[in-house]
Amino acid sequence: MAAPQRSLERFAWRGLAAADRLFNRLYGWRSNPLYQSGTIAVALLGVLIVTGLWLLLFYRLGTPYESVARLTASPITGNWVRGLHRYASDAALIAVVVHLFRMLAQGRSWGPRALAWVTGVGLFALLFVCGWTGYVMVWDEFGIVLAREGARMMDSLPIFSEPVVRAFSGERPVATAFFFVNMFAHVALPLGLAVGLWLHVSRVSRATLLPPRRLMWGVIGLLTVAAVAWPLRMGPEASAFTLPESVSADMFYSFWMPFSRRLPGGVAFASAVAIFAILALVPAFTRRIANRPVASKVDEDLCGGCVQCTLDCPYGAIQMIPRPGERGSKSAEVARVNPALCVSCGICAGSCAPMAIGPAGRTGRDQLARVKEFLRSPELHRGGVVVVGCDRSALALTVAAASEDAVFYPVDCAGSLHTSVIELIVRAGMRGVLVAACPPRDCWNREGPKWVNERIYNDREAELQARVERRRVRLAHVDSRDIAGARKAIAAFAAETAALDAARAEESLEVDATCVTAAGVAE
Amino acid sequence: MIRRSIGFLVAVGTVALVLGASQMRLPAFPSADSIVRVSWSARPERVETCRRLTDEEYAQRPAHMRRRVECEGTTARYELRVLRDSVLLVVDTVRGGGLRHDRELYVSRELTVPSGPARLQVRFVRLDSSQVADESLRADTTGADAWQNRAAREDEERERRRAEAIPAALVVDTTVTLQPRRVVLVTYGDAGRQLSVRSGPQ
Ligand code: HEM
Ligand code: SF4
Ligand code: SF4
Repeated sequence: MAAPQRSLERFAWRGLAAADRLFNRLYGWRSNPLYQSGTIAVALLGVLIVTGLWLLLFYRLGTPYESVARLTASPITGNWVRGLHRYASDAALIAVVVHLFRMLAQGRSWGPRALAWVTGVGLFALLFVCGWTGYVMVWDEFGIVLAREGARMMDSLPIFSEPVVRAFSGERPVATAFFFVNMFAHVALPLGLAVGLWLHVSRVSRATLLPPRRLMWGVIGLLTVAAVAWPLRMGPEASAFTLPESVSADMFYSFWMPFSRRLPGGVAFASAVAIFAILALVPAFTRRIANRPVASKVDEDLCGGCVQCTLDCPYGAIQMIPRPGERGSKSAEVARVNPALCVSCGICAGSCAPMAIGPAGRTGRDQLARVKEFLRSPELHRGGVVVVGCDRSALALTVAAASEDAVFYPVDCAGSLHTSVIELIVRAGMRGVLVAACPPRDCWNREGPKWVNERIYNDREAELQARVERRRVRLAHVDSRDIAGARKAIAAFAAETAALDAARAEESLEVDATCVTAAGVAE
Repeated sequence: MIRRSIGFLVAVGTVALVLGASQMRLPAFPSADSIVRVSWSARPERVETCRRLTDEEYAQRPAHMRRRVECEGTTARYELRVLRDSVLLVVDTVRGGGLRHDRELYVSRELTVPSGPARLQVRFVRLDSSQVADESLRADTTGADAWQNRAAREDEERERRRAEAIPAALVVDTTVTLQPRRVVLVTYGDAGRQLSVRSGPQ
């Protein structure tokens, strides 16, 4: 079973689930931006690079403010691009915060995912500093306020013998070298972001980097329209001798200033470092020590070497190795799980036709034993509908199924469901099986809904056998907390299957456990 | 259709919120006070402590290093005092930068003061001076056969360094009108080797 949530995660998830439900209702799960926060952040980073390169063409180190002012005054080539650059950076920050919160709430912060978490915190910090340097480039009132605050913090470090803040004291004009270093940082940090992103997704297979097209262009389009409709205006130029009462500021990148300015530079800097350090240390607090889910294991006697599990594992945790010991008539290779990479999602259990792999107690064979017991239960109403769904959705699906006279059968993750379980339920005389998977972009194990869909409808290895009447099987995507959505899906399926002939219960419930391999048929 | 429209409105509303938060007024310097900024860098003066070697010490030195008088050098400390209408705002000791204090010294202070006309006094005074117990020591070159002119050259060098260094005492005493939310800069070197006051770029 999946590891229980920690109280912090449960609390975070409750808030997230409510927002998810609302956004699903408004945009449908395919375009729910909350499910796509990480990929939206990537798309917006792309927008920032394209618009940033354009803006860079017009930037002058010797006259930074004047060059930006000229650009801002040009409605066709400058203003809206600058606006889009700015709003995309704001939206990227929001997307990253939602993504972080989502990963935390879903318990995806520890174990083999710790690398993604820690590099994610690094990306967050880089994005922040990048925004900071960007606003300094403009060299308006807001720019100098940010620059002085940064200098104040830097001066608390025993690095520079000359106080950095003197660069803005007004003794002499601000050196071009300063604008060069700042611009260099603003241009180089995105390279750091790119490397960081590569590391960030290095442990996931087939990382999904972009949101679905409709959503991506919807977000970019909306920000572009906003940039055109609300042209940016230039603030007054930075001055070492004037102290504005207030400045026009981007709160996403300066919300912390009212707090930090009350603190000595060193304390402000240490607080910022401490906040990011605590964030980076979250995996140490959220990891499960006592009830850590066990890694998947391969029964090498049963493994037919078909490589399907290596293709399906969302975390690249399985490799093929030469079969240890006597090969006999068996395949030359067997699968081997790297426990350091395995998150115990159980998806491999669903991809293995001979049921040779899976975390202990959750292999295909374990699933078969459990479903047989379920089907033997005297209380089970034969001829009813069975709703199969994951633990996360248990609450919503139990309530919804009960109200529609169906029965809920929980599995770890829809992607870990072995299709033989569906087959047995149908052959036992139930009216139909509704597999209620999470929306594909919200699978806590990344690819569960995708693979179960392929196995049911597209004959992906470990496929649902042809003899199972497809009218009695349905895959629906239901948000894990959405009782109303679940009820609707169950009611629709129940109504359709009600019209079918009464299901015929078979006496003997046995299934083939075979897979086609290069070496022949393994059983 | 209704849901789509609401979805569209929510998206537009969210973007409007982003736009609003992207251009909000952030209090920068809400009070009507002024700032007196005292800021400059300069080379500190080198100070030396000289003493006459005993005959025994003198004999131990390699022949080409023999001098009756040896001097150890460091850089002077300075005291910064800032007063507004004779009220002391800052008193601080300033030394050269770097571990051995042999780099330039930096003064960088921002003092928030009520606006209005004010008498502003800034003093920067050297605290240490060279320790030469007996002035006659300076000229004493006994035994430095190979370096007859050395003392003279060292004195020259000392003079040159002193001319490069910040003067031993700097004072500015002036009446200014401190405007609300404006900076008055007290700096060194704008007009030669003295302190000056200004309230705008040079
Ligand atoms: C610029 C900032 C970021 C971008 C562009 C970004 C983007 C992404 C993308 C595209 C994925 C892969 C999604 C998939 O295919 O499953 C991902 C995964 C992940 N992200 Fe981020 N991310 C960012 C920041 C963060 C932050 C701040 C955190 C948390 C501190 C975080 C935590 C994670 C985790 C834990 C995963 C792995 C999820 C899993 O393995 O199940 N990310 N991120
Ligand atoms: S349980 Fe299986 S599919 Fe999931 S990470 Fe581990 S090896 Fe990969
Ligand atoms: S038989 Fe099962 S464990 Fe072996 S390679 Fe195929 S899917 Fe993996």
